[in-house]
Amino acid sequence: MRAVYYDGVTADRHDIDVGLDGESLQVGTDRVPLAELAVTDEDKERLVLSRAGSAGWRLIFEQPIDPEFRARLPHPTRYGSWIDRIGLAKASLVLAAVAAGVLVIGYAAPAIIAPLVPESWERNLGTAMVGDFGDNACRNPAASRALAAMSRRIDPATGGRAPITMTLIDVGIFNAAALPGGQIVIFDGALRDTKNPDAMAGILAHEMAHVRRRHVTQALIRELGIGALIRLFAGDVGANAQQLVSLSYTRANEYEADGDAIAALGRARIDPRPTAELFRELDKEDGPDFAAAEFLNSHPASGDRAKRFAAAYRPGTGYSPVISASDYKAMRDACPLKHDAEREKEEAEKGR
Amino acid sequence: MDAMTSAAAGSDRAVRFTGYWREYLPIAATNVLLTIVTLGVYRFWATARQRRYLWSRTEVIGDRLEWSGSGKEMFIGFLMVMAVLIPFFLFIQFLFPALVARGKMEAASGIMLLFYIGLIYLGGFARFRALRYRLSRTYWRGIRGGSDEPGWNYGGEYLGRVALSAMTLWIAWPWAATRLWNGRWNQMSFGPLKFRTEIDAEGLKGCWAAVYLVPMAAFAVAGVIVALIGLGAAMSGSEPNPTFFAIIFGLFLAVYLIIPLMTLNWYAAFYRKAADELSLGDLEFGFDASTWDWLKLFLGNIGLAIVTLGFGISFWGYRNWAFMIRHFHLYGEVDASRLTQSTTHAPGEAEGFADAFDIGAL
Repeated sequence: MRAVYYDGVTADRHDIDVGLDGESLQVGTDRVPLAELAVTDEDKERLVLSRAGSAGWRLIFEQPIDPEFRARLPHPTRYGSWIDRIGLAKASLVLAAVAAGVLVIGYAAPAIIAPLVPESWERNLGTAMVGDFGDNACRNPAASRALAAMSRRIDPATGGRAPITMTLIDVGIFNAAALPGGQIVIFDGALRDTKNPDAMAGILAHEMAHVRRRHVTQALIRELGIGALIRLFAGDVGANAQQLVSLSYTRANEYEADGDAIAALGRARIDPRPTAELFRELDKEDGPDFAAAEFLNSHPASGDRAKRFAAAYRPGTGYSPVISASDYKAMRDACPLKHDAEREKEEAEKGR
Repeated sequence: MDAMTSAAAGSDRAVRFTGYWREYLPIAATNVLLTIVTLGVYRFWATARQRRYLWSRTEVIGDRLEWSGSGKEMFIGFLMVMAVLIPFFLFIQFLFPALVARGKMEAASGIMLLFYIGLIYLGGFARFRALRYRLSRTYWRGIRGGSDEPGWNYGGEYLGRVALSAMTLWIAWPWAATRLWNGRWNQMSFGPLKFRTEIDAEGLKGCWAAVYLVPMAAFAVAGVIVALIGLGAAMSGSEPNPTFFAIIFGLFLAVYLIIPLMTLNWYAAFYRKAADELSLGDLEFGFDASTWDWLKLFLGNIGLAIVTLGFGISFWGYRNWAFMIRHFHLYGEVDASRLTQSTTHAPGEAEGFADAFDIGAL
């Protein structure tokens, strides 16, 4: 058989005779075992062989080649070795089934896995995150006592459940957030804008529900786990990075947390109407307060939430304030207002 | 032996694309299918299949090119890159909010600045590696290309030049772009031969100035026309009619189309000049795509995607490659017996991984 031979050492073209000799091919003075050969390209015009371990070694035959010889050579890789072996149609079906499974699991898994994650794993992460707030955590004994009392009343932590740690943060944004490991941080901005302690109780009950339902863990798994992996392959790196930067709850999680919060307020005999009132105010706000707008965006429509809390009011229940007015004042006065340029400016403007 | 292989000007072109779209169609269709059912994971294998076809349908001085890269090595390369980038992103993700929460806005902005600096550096590094990877996987007559440089220095050069030209509001971009082109290609080789290029901004400055000046001029002209029409309408006492607003809209649309057009014009000039002044041993190159050619390519790509309801996107790679090869020229000759195998670091698996951080190579 005639063939064009490139030895991979120089670009010289060798027109040579090639002979099949048992289990090997006689190429010039070389005996090449058939097992070392692979078909790198095959079409109507030619067949190209390469040799394992010799980069650039190529033997090119013009078509048609001897069918007997062709039968001794391996098939070229087409779709990929694994898919070639089982066939395109079968492989597509198997892969489609796997893909569907991955999507279903990716959607459902966080809720299933979250309760199985030991709380101790999360605690380190949560403690570290609260530690991140550093000097901005307000450490005031009276406020801490008031906060603990409020927390105990909403969630008595009975039945061996780990207590929830609350931390006040001296940053003037309207937000409260549940962190991993049973940590809840309350930003001073939320305290400043929430005058009624019962409304604050409503917010905290909502965040505590996120903790108890392991929504935080779910969000972590959803963002960092399977969902992130799927997005990774579906798009470019930059967009994925953006996706990684936000941790958020699903709407279903938020709805569930509101339901739990309402139940907790009911059990503790705390009036739900101030919370409803707070949501109504948030709903009315046209968003000059950026932080408040952000808080709204990550939550369901405030108007609907207001209605839900208001509907939970039962006349004749012996409602009592969650903590005394003086205790709540201690909470609101706890933060020393440092690092808070916005608030300082506001105070200065008021003073003028 | 035909030691001297000539690409002299003559009847046949030294570089030819012999592909045919109907031959490529089954490749494109199965690539789309498999990419969908694997939720995107197959795209590395799809890229390798596409290149294997395109390279094998590209004839250079009578012999076909060959793509020897595999989907697997690109996939593993991608995983390696992610293993570096994801912790980097996560670190920023936790550090940035922590700094904001502490009220340390300056530190937070500093971190963000460092983050973008890191991204630009990696972008330059990746471009270098992409070019090196492609050359190392491209065989012609059993010989491949490559580079001895890992590209870390190039990343630094890229960062510096991009930062400097950003400081000049990109006015200095032609100088930066040409030096970066030199910095990249002068490190590349094929067999024992080194690519050589020393382009400068000469002949490109006008095109770049046009990116700034033509839109401004068009804007001024549009303004004058609008004012005149308005004045005319006011003089005749008639109310401005819908046609008047349509004209204004059309004029401003035209102005906003001019900016990308002028940029395209600049890149067309850049690639013509860059190819003209690139050499490899006794081989000289050329590239003759005009701005209009590029525009037809892009509009064709978009039109194809629309007409085929998106499927045509799988043909963009084919069309782009065919475009490049059809406008590409090769002159001079190569001494085959002296074109020996590349001694650049043999792309074994371990390093092929990082090589495969494969974004647009040119």
